Amino acid sequence: MRRRRSMLPWAVMLCAIAVVSFHATAAQETEECPGSVGEIRADVLTIDVSGVFGDLERPAVVFLHDSHTDALEKKNKDCNTCHLIEKGPQKDRLSPKFKRLKDISRDDVMDIYHTECMGCHRDLSADGEKSGPVEICGECHRDRPAAVSTRQPMGFDRSLHFRHSRAHEDKCERCHHEYDKTEKKLFYAKEKEGSCRYCHKEVTEENRISLRLASHISCIDCHRTALTEKKVAGPVKCVGCHDVKKQQLIEKVKDVPRIGRKQPDIVLIRPDKQDIDEQELALRTGPVPFDHKTHEGKNETCRVCHHASLDSCDKCHTLAGAKDGKEIRLETAMHQVGSKRSCLGCHEISKREPSCSGCHVFMEKGRKNETSSCFQCHLSALKGTVLSTEKPEIAAEEALRSRRAPPDTHRDEDIPEKVIIKELVDKYEGVEFPHRKIIHTLINNIKDNTLASYFHVEKNTPCRSCHHNSPGDVKPPRCVSCHGKPFDEADLLRPGMKGAYHQQCIGCHKAMGIEKPNATDCTECHKERTKPEKVFSGGAPAG
Amino acid sequence: MSISRRKFLGLVGAAGLGTAIGKPAHTATNKQFKGYPGSLGVLYDGTLCIGCRKCEEGCNDVNDLPPPVRQFSDLSVLDNRRRTDANVFTVINRYNGPKDVKGPLYRRIGCNHCLEPACASSCFVKAYTKTRFGAVTYDASVCVGCRYCMVACPFEIPAFEYDQALSPRITKCTMCYPRIVKGKLPGCVEACPMEALTFGKRRDLIKTARERIRRHPDRYVDHIYGEHEMGGTSWLYLSGVPFKDIGMREDLGVAPAAELTAGALGAVPMVVGLWPVLLTGIYAISKRKEKISKNEREEAVSTALAQAGEQAEAKLSEELKKAEVKNKTAIEAAVRKALEQAADTQTEEGS
Repeated sequence: MRRRRSMLPWAVMLCAIAVVSFHATAAQETEECPGSVGEIRADVLTIDVSGVFGDLERPAVVFLHDSHTDALEKKNKDCNTCHLIEKGPQKDRLSPKFKRLKDISRDDVMDIYHTECMGCHRDLSADGEKSGPVEICGECHRDRPAAVSTRQPMGFDRSLHFRHSRAHEDKCERCHHEYDKTEKKLFYAKEKEGSCRYCHKEVTEENRISLRLASHISCIDCHRTALTEKKVAGPVKCVGCHDVKKQQLIEKVKDVPRIGRKQPDIVLIRPDKQDIDEQELALRTGPVPFDHKTHEGKNETCRVCHHASLDSCDKCHTLAGAKDGKEIRLETAMHQVGSKRSCLGCHEISKREPSCSGCHVFMEKGRKNETSSCFQCHLSALKGTVLSTEKPEIAAEEALRSRRAPPDTHRDEDIPEKVIIKELVDKYEGVEFPHRKIIHTLINNIKDNTLASYFHVEKNTPCRSCHHNSPGDVKPPRCVSCHGKPFDEADLLRPGMKGAYHQQCIGCHKAMGIEKPNATDCTECHKERTKPEKVFSGGAPAG
Repeated sequence: MSISRRKFLGLVGAAGLGTAIGKPAHTATNKQFKGYPGSLGVLYDGTLCIGCRKCEEGCNDVNDLPPPVRQFSDLSVLDNRRRTDANVFTVINRYNGPKDVKGPLYRRIGCNHCLEPACASSCFVKAYTKTRFGAVTYDASVCVGCRYCMVACPFEIPAFEYDQALSPRITKCTMCYPRIVKGKLPGCVEACPMEALTFGKRRDLIKTARERIRRHPDRYVDHIYGEHEMGGTSWLYLSGVPFKDIGMREDLGVAPAAELTAGALGAVPMVVGLWPVLLTGIYAISKRKEKISKNEREEAVSTALAQAGEQAEAKLSEELKKAEVKNKTAIEAAVRKALEQAADTQTEEGS
């Protein structure tokens, strides 16, 4: 009986130890995590041939390419130290692989890395110089990589393209090529040039190498050659193209001349002739005249819109959808909000600019359902008539030009210069609102913007930015006729008088980035009343 | 008293099994309370709030609260995270939010007036009432000052008048109950210049919030905070960033506090009610047992005594008989002896 009594304290003690040790180990595990983030750089390569030869036995090696390039440079060695020369289709070039031309077998590749990497490291350390790991496997094959990649994707914009074509004296064939399937070789087709990405995809497909490989072979090889010829050359190291900060240093050419590929100035966006009968089209919603030239100047690349080829949209996006266009109909391709490629999607993004968003921030987002808005693009002037003419583009150009008149609004004498807003005078005096000045600012903002000046052609449009849901005549309805007592059960979405004014003024200022007057300092808009009335009549004290 | 090893292990096993099996959430109730029909609420739209503190001022004014430490026009208080206290029922805090969001973000802190309030469910004197208007009110006259409500509230809202030594009260936003019953607006709502606070029927507010999200999907996070949190609250919130980025708890779940504790608390009246009955019963049974055994013992004793008496009597009588016989014999012998002596004497005299 005596022995049994001692069991309970023992059990309690063991339980306590178990609980404490469990929590201690749990804490230890989480503590180690933050240390796992290593150095952050753009030249991090993972040597991982697992895709080719199956899983690795040890963690893949994280290789810092620029560190090695720099080290070789100091010793007056070049890329050939690691990369072999292979026969290219046109000329000899550096193989992007390390010390080999092909991945023959798993063991061979492994042996190449082990003997070549460590051989070099050993030689260096024998000479008493700083070197990479020589003995311990785990120093290269690390569980937690010593560096984290911040590699940014790289691409050509119009400026960079112009700088290249200028340097190459407009010899497009130096980069651009097509593939002849019958002859099985590359050839240059004039005025058929397109983005590399149209053919070179993310991964290598059959004999079409991946974009990554294609760009590294072509760009770096060319840059290296230029360097050896002591010419101005582009980057050869990873960071030159893939580091965020270095990317920002890339020279930008202002007023880039238009790329000459015989692309049209103005096009008519309409279904393909095979898709719809000419006569039928004449009866239906008209085609859209599209100012191709202006749009070129507003975008950094062609592929912003021409995402798969430089053909016209209706080739793949047919009226009812086709396999080539991934069943995306012409209508969707042009109207889908949320896609940067579609007309409406891109225009929606443009409206977020401060000069636009002051008014547009209040507008309901999404597809415009009002039929009247269709005719902003589908100009009724072109309906039916253009198809009969031989060159419909000329009619389209005329139609577009007719809209390019500077925006017009009411005469200055019809626009009150100042408006005193005094409906809500209570604690504060009325607001002296610089009405005409604001209208003028709006009109100037529209004038400065090509997109805005195309769409804001009606006389009342600037007025309607504040006098919304009304025709915007010379004498629009007063605000108070719609906005009265707040929180009307029948229409909770409609703000009351106080909310309407403050939301409109402060909301617009906020969207446009106007910091003066300060929204939280009441007296910057309305003076405090000398004899303020107590606004809150006061309810019974709580509690 | 000691506990045997077998008994200890048995108890541990039973406890483990008991927790592993668990119990359904609706132990005491199987209905879901969705708020009083037509009850009122307030919708706070964080994308409209400009952080002017007018709501704080309005609240202070209508509730006759002491003047604030720093004036309401002093917006530097927004640099710090603040919370409600005994004299502050509504607080606006400023947050910087995620990197891609420009401009400051705001959030209102105050009683959310839960549809099934945790404070009320934790209060054993029923000081809290969820009124049919939606407001959760507090009755100081019955409060015993246990402050369980402060512990129970998942939003950490009820505050205590620590400076009142004799009659401290719990304080919190009342949704201006005294005002709304008269058809007036809550103080904060009336004061907000932006109408970032919308007052109305909770049902309508949810519809309004949904419509705002639909019209401006790029402006709002597609969630109405308070629609389901903690079983739903009368205050609702809209935000342009995830709610956790403006310090609002996203771990609360959708079960009302009352439901979480209903099982355990539902057992309380049973225990409280049945325990005396049980104990009294046990007491009565043991008492009865004692009584019976006492009676039995007495009977046994008396029987035993009676038996002993009888035996003694029998023996006595026997002894007496024996003694009598003895005596008789002795008397007879004596008599005989005397007679013999007398006869002898006579013979002697006669001779």
